[in-house]
Amino acid sequence: MALRLLVYRSPIGLQLEFGWPAEGAVRYRVTAVVVGATVGAALGISGTLLQALLRNPLAEPFILGISSGAGLGVMAAMFAVHQLGLTGWIADAYTLPAIIGGLATLAVVYGLGQRRGLLDPVSLVLVGVIVSSICGAGIMFFQHAVTTGLRSEFTLWLMGHIPQTVSPWTLGFTVGLTLLAAAWACRMGGAMDVGTFGDDEARSVGLRLGRVRFLMFALAGTLAATTVAVAGPIGFVGLVCPHAARLVLGPRHGALVVGAALAGIIMVVGADVARQGIHLGTGRMPIGIFTAFIGGPAFIALLLTGRGRS
Amino acid sequence: MTLSVENLEFKYGRDPVLRGVTVEARPGRITALIGPNAAGKSTLLRCLTGSLRPSRGQVLIDGQISHRASARWLAGRMAYVPQRAVVAAAFTTQQVIELGRYALPPAPHAVLEVMGELELLSIADRPFTRISVGQQQRVILARSLVQLADDGHLALDEPTSAMDLKHAHAAVTALRRRAARGATIILALHDLGVAADIADDVWLLHEGRLVAAGTTRVVMTPVHLARVFGVSFTMVNDAAGRARLFSNPAESTPTTIPLP
Repeated sequence: MALRLLVYRSPIGLQLEFGWPAEGAVRYRVTAVVVGATVGAALGISGTLLQALLRNPLAEPFILGISSGAGLGVMAAMFAVHQLGLTGWIADAYTLPAIIGGLATLAVVYGLGQRRGLLDPVSLVLVGVIVSSICGAGIMFFQHAVTTGLRSEFTLWLMGHIPQTVSPWTLGFTVGLTLLAAAWACRMGGAMDVGTFGDDEARSVGLRLGRVRFLMFALAGTLAATTVAVAGPIGFVGLVCPHAARLVLGPRHGALVVGAALAGIIMVVGADVARQGIHLGTGRMPIGIFTAFIGGPAFIALLLTGRGRS
Repeated sequence: MTLSVENLEFKYGRDPVLRGVTVEARPGRITALIGPNAAGKSTLLRCLTGSLRPSRGQVLIDGQISHRASARWLAGRMAYVPQRAVVAAAFTTQQVIELGRYALPPAPHAVLEVMGELELLSIADRPFTRISVGQQQRVILARSLVQLADDGHLALDEPTSAMDLKHAHAAVTALRRRAARGATIILALHDLGVAADIADDVWLLHEGRLVAAGTTRVVMTPVHLARVFGVSFTMVNDAAGRARLFSNPAESTPTTIPLP
């Protein structure tokens, strides 16, 4: 039954169709499941790293502007591809511009979010929100600068989507990076536990936070930017999944990384499967709407229950 | 085993906070670091732990410069209790205490022993963020005690300020026990009565300068205290021959300091 759900796809129209997809379509759905699982795991791990290092349970790639920066990088690349009439593999190679955009944004946020040489979690989040707005303006500029047809393509991508075809290089890079990140983050679980202390306290028990924090930020940023290149900006996964895992596994980060990755897989693949069956005559609903419907109320619940206050 | 401060200077931006502090802590003794607000007590403690890099001079811990020492090595030689702890995760009190051994081999028996000593076993499973500030202070003290080697160093910033009388006594007893085993203990305190009660030695700071250092009886004199705090004190011997300092009630809230 689970396999049927993962691979089924209803046709465009109002009628839902349960059952196996046409023979040729199975491959596309399997690709989408692999991409969705990778994106979900990467966002779950990224959110866990950011929440631990910022000592802020509301932190996630969107809040720090990483997704917007990566999105701006992808938009600029798409715009250049269109303007220059590029074709072939380069017309689909958005991972590098996304990583450049995401990490450049993170570098700015990291640089401006320090006070007296120490990273200040509150300043960091404020700077992230501002930089995110600036990147959003850049994205709107590119949307405005292209033809109407391309603009709707841009808009769809901005809502988040799990592709059913993706280049082997992009898929291999994203899966490989996510697996490596998961292994490294599990190994750094103890350091993340101590990272929830103040800087002086962490140092006093044997962890110099500066270097570890820099590496983990770079990893969290690269993971989030890679998912943006593959699937567009998908919100709330990085926020909700670490909390969902925490409810089951407790606060130790070694286990939490694995749990958040699994929660991310369930959330993104589940949302992608669900959206296959819902369409209102204007094509299938973008996945970002699903994750926002789940994540938005969860965000508010976190605020109301006090879990969002560090 | 040795902790010495050599011509230490520290500035926040251009503002000097510590000016030419030179002093040595004695192993096996409790030293109170006292002075008025903004005297530089917390800054000096953070320089001792290597968290702050001095603009001049140095702190030597067992011969190593504290701000250049590796965090892992330092964790085995110097523990620290901040004025207000930060734990931004839903760890239980026992988990927070266990993290004191992050850079050291696990010591589950020591964790339970210290928790018993500070009466924390009954709240072992409570989330740290949901206990009172006084209880949090005991947990952070316990975290530092499981980290502290018998001949190690411990720096504490107002460790008992939010504790009730009974638990403050338990905390002081635990510190005295560690000092008796050979640990070097330095506490920043604003309460002069507590300082006189706890400390064997006192460092008196004023505007970033070390005004006096030595045994409690040598440093806590009416002359020194009047100079630094701007309040006159009178020394009176009671019927049993114990000396006490009384502040002038016209200049401050009435304060009695029992001297050892």
